[in-house]
Amino acid sequence: MADRLLLTIGTRKGAFVAEAATARRSFALRGPFAPGVPVYSTLIDNRAAPRLYASSCSPFFGMKLLRSTDLGKSFKETKSAPAFPKDDGRALANIWSLEVGDGRKELWCGVEPASLFRSSDGGDSWDMVPGINNHEHARKWEPGAGGLCLHTIVRDGARVHLGISTGGHYLSEDGGRTFRASNQGVGAGFAPDPYPEFGQCVHKIARHEKAPGRLYMQNHGGWADWTGPGGPRPNIGVLRSDDHGRSWRSIAPGLPTDFGFPIVVHPHDADTVYVMPLEPATRSCPGGAPALWRSENGGDSWSRLSRGLPKKQSFFTIQRDAMTIDRLKSPALYFGTTTGQLWMGRDGGERFECLFDALPPIHNVKVAVV
Amino acid sequence: MLRATEGTLRTVAMAPVVKIHLPGPLRPYCAGASQLLVASGTIRALLEDLEREHADLYRNLCDETGTLRRHLNVFVNSDHMRDLNGVDTILTEGDVVTFLPAVSGG
Repeated sequence: MADRLLLTIGTRKGAFVAEAATARRSFALRGPFAPGVPVYSTLIDNRAAPRLYASSCSPFFGMKLLRSTDLGKSFKETKSAPAFPKDDGRALANIWSLEVGDGRKELWCGVEPASLFRSSDGGDSWDMVPGINNHEHARKWEPGAGGLCLHTIVRDGARVHLGISTGGHYLSEDGGRTFRASNQGVGAGFAPDPYPEFGQCVHKIARHEKAPGRLYMQNHGGWADWTGPGGPRPNIGVLRSDDHGRSWRSIAPGLPTDFGFPIVVHPHDADTVYVMPLEPATRSCPGGAPALWRSENGGDSWSRLSRGLPKKQSFFTIQRDAMTIDRLKSPALYFGTTTGQLWMGRDGGERFECLFDALPPIHNVKVAVV
Repeated sequence: MLRATEGTLRTVAMAPVVKIHLPGPLRPYCAGASQLLVASGTIRALLEDLEREHADLYRNLCDETGTLRRHLNVFVNSDHMRDLNGVDTILTEGDVVTFLPAVSGG
């Protein structure tokens, strides 16, 4: 079968799968799977025969993990979902991130309350990762507006980077056995100390596999005008690290606002990075005019991309996992909105078109060629 | 479909037999049954029976700490459990215990 492009779309009312030929001329939509149930996380696992995963987090009946082995034509529950031991005292409230691990079947899963689980059998059984779940900081983290979530897992050999809201960036250099807070240069706007050891509201972290040590972060910005204790803290929202996340520096100057949720790196160029700046009060694009912003020099300067997007009166939010990019020769960006639109930006965001305009509010978008 | 659990068979002589009514989304977790018969003296004991005999169903009703899920309502006949004695509500022979998701919108 010719290569196909698959999108998994997690929404407030279930998961959808969109499929297209790699020319991306038309997309066929399937779903909803887990209808009516919020899906905050999906994963396309391409290591062997493709497997699709979707979290299904029912406020009534609890957390499930769904798996598809037929490219998203059907989903079934795995044998179990992550769960805390009974004597731990915590209870799973949501599944925020799914990532592939080593080998063919290892999976990692970030949850709310902020914790990490690992599966060695493709999601049928799960073990807590005590190095972060029982970290001395873990009971001191505070929930952000979306909950106390471990939403980002970035693996880089023996290094594991975690994004926790609000806990900050945690780094393991021993494959996930131990973690330490690694937030030098990562600002916080909601505490008197602008640069605490931990407790930052990291929104997303991204890396490029061919740029060792480099990471990009969308942090909770929007504190330039703060006049309380600790003073204003401009440009803390978009950051870069060149030392494997040990320290971070701002690359926000040039953006219309440093607040936003997702951050995405071009698959073929580690210097090209995308953010969606949002006004902190409304969490929508400045002036109601949606635009992505792209840097082609690692964050030194930024340019606005909006061709094809609405020019006014658009007040949607793009959530932290609702933007991604495919790995085709001329990659396309995809972002989903809280108003249920799924947009595709061809040629790295040069031209946008709306693929679907009336889905449920979108939490998560992933893409892969299968 | 009505099913009796193994626990019912073991404890029927000591505790009242009550009927559990299950909404559609929960039936896949007990082989499609819409009703179960259990012998339990309280809601708490009923949940403990379900944890032993229908672990998959139990995980839909209670979280890892054993707490009933927040947006799930439990009725004994026509009365909400919270208006009785919560999980310590005493059950009597022939009671109907109904698990229902809370009304929600959006």
